[in-house]
Amino acid sequence: MAAEKIRQVQLVGRKIRELRKEHKLTQVELSARLGIQQSDLSRMEKGEYRVSLDTLFRILAEFKLSIGEFFEGVAKESITPRDVRLVQGFKSLSEDAQREVEDFIAFKAAQTRHEED
Amino acid sequence: MSDEFGRIETAFEEIRNRGQQAIDAGQLEEAVEILQTAVDLATGQGDTRLVDLTVCNRAAALVELGRGEGELPRLREILVRNNDPVNCRIAAYTIARHYEVSKNYKKALFYARITLGRSEQLERRDWLASSHNLIGNTLLAESYIEEACAEYEKALELIPSEPTPARAKILLNIGYCRILEHRYDEGYRQLYESLALLRRVGARKYEVLARLDLCFAHLETRRYRHALRQGSMALGLAESIGDHASVKNALYLLGEVANLNGDLDTARAHFGRLQREFFPDAGYLPEFLLAVDIRKLVNLHA
Repeated sequence: MAAEKIRQVQLVGRKIRELRKEHKLTQVELSARLGIQQSDLSRMEKGEYRVSLDTLFRILAEFKLSIGEFFEGVAKESITPRDVRLVQGFKSLSEDAQREVEDFIAFKAAQTRHEED
Repeated sequence: MSDEFGRIETAFEEIRNRGQQAIDAGQLEEAVEILQTAVDLATGQGDTRLVDLTVCNRAAALVELGRGEGELPRLREILVRNNDPVNCRIAAYTIARHYEVSKNYKKALFYARITLGRSEQLERRDWLASSHNLIGNTLLAESYIEEACAEYEKALELIPSEPTPARAKILLNIGYCRILEHRYDEGYRQLYESLALLRRVGARKYEVLARLDLCFAHLETRRYRHALRQGSMALGLAESIGDHASVKNALYLLGEVANLNGDLDTARAHFGRLQREFFPDAGYLPEFLLAVDIRKLVNLHA
């Protein structure tokens, strides 16, 4: 079965905008650093602009982006590609199956606590 | 005297054709050598118009090799001197193509529009077609897909129906646009027609691009076995002609094919090679690509 990767077109654009703001950069400043036009960066942030691999990885390098930083609301430092795949796998399940997994995790956690006691 | 002139013209035409064939076949160094012969011959004749023409032709091969920067002053001079409309058109086209190759799409568009204007004056349909195709390329590279497609459609209407690399390139570009627009049936038809033409005329430089686009198309429609086949053939061809940009795209696509098909080890191997050979400072890249789908962000024609 094909592994479902997280679809990123809007997310990446949004993330670029957030990171730019976190780094206190204007679109003009960041586009100059990346060697692209401000209007192109603006379209990229809106998810309207496809770029070459070179440009995409230049942007990621500019922010020294790690995988964790791409996922909002998750403990950024601790997330690994394996974690990402687990979350993706979980999300691909039906609601009932997700509840079963949650119950199993709760069971395993309780079992671990019991063993430690 | 006119017979003599005719013979010289024919000889130049033959050399230029051989040079163009070498460019299309991806034998760029050989093309430069052939076209240098034409420059030497023209210089020996002392005919400024022929010298300008052959200089433009040689510059075209150097541009394809990514060594066009040094040719720009001479090409601009030919364009500004405005002695001969044909040479002006070729000079403008070559400058535009240089900016396209060096990814300066706004300048490329500027010169491509000059190229179109000159082609209109000359009333040559094949040149009008290649001008529209070039304008389309600069628009597509900047993700103006609909506008690019309109230019490619004009180009296709104008280009003679003979099986030429020029026609194949236009079909290739429209095909890729159609895939981006999710018009898969049309896209596949145009891409496969382009591939067949390119194979027929032995234009390996562009065959690589057709196979990359087909790999992408199959990837988008989840036909992973076909995607793998086209991507692998593109990679082999790109390596054989030293087309590094296409090697890069092929490694990315093959990694994506394997990843989406659940073959993580192969995906990691392709993404790892992509990182080592093209982005050595981006150690995070293989894991990043395993986790994040960047297909909707990437433009293979940029």
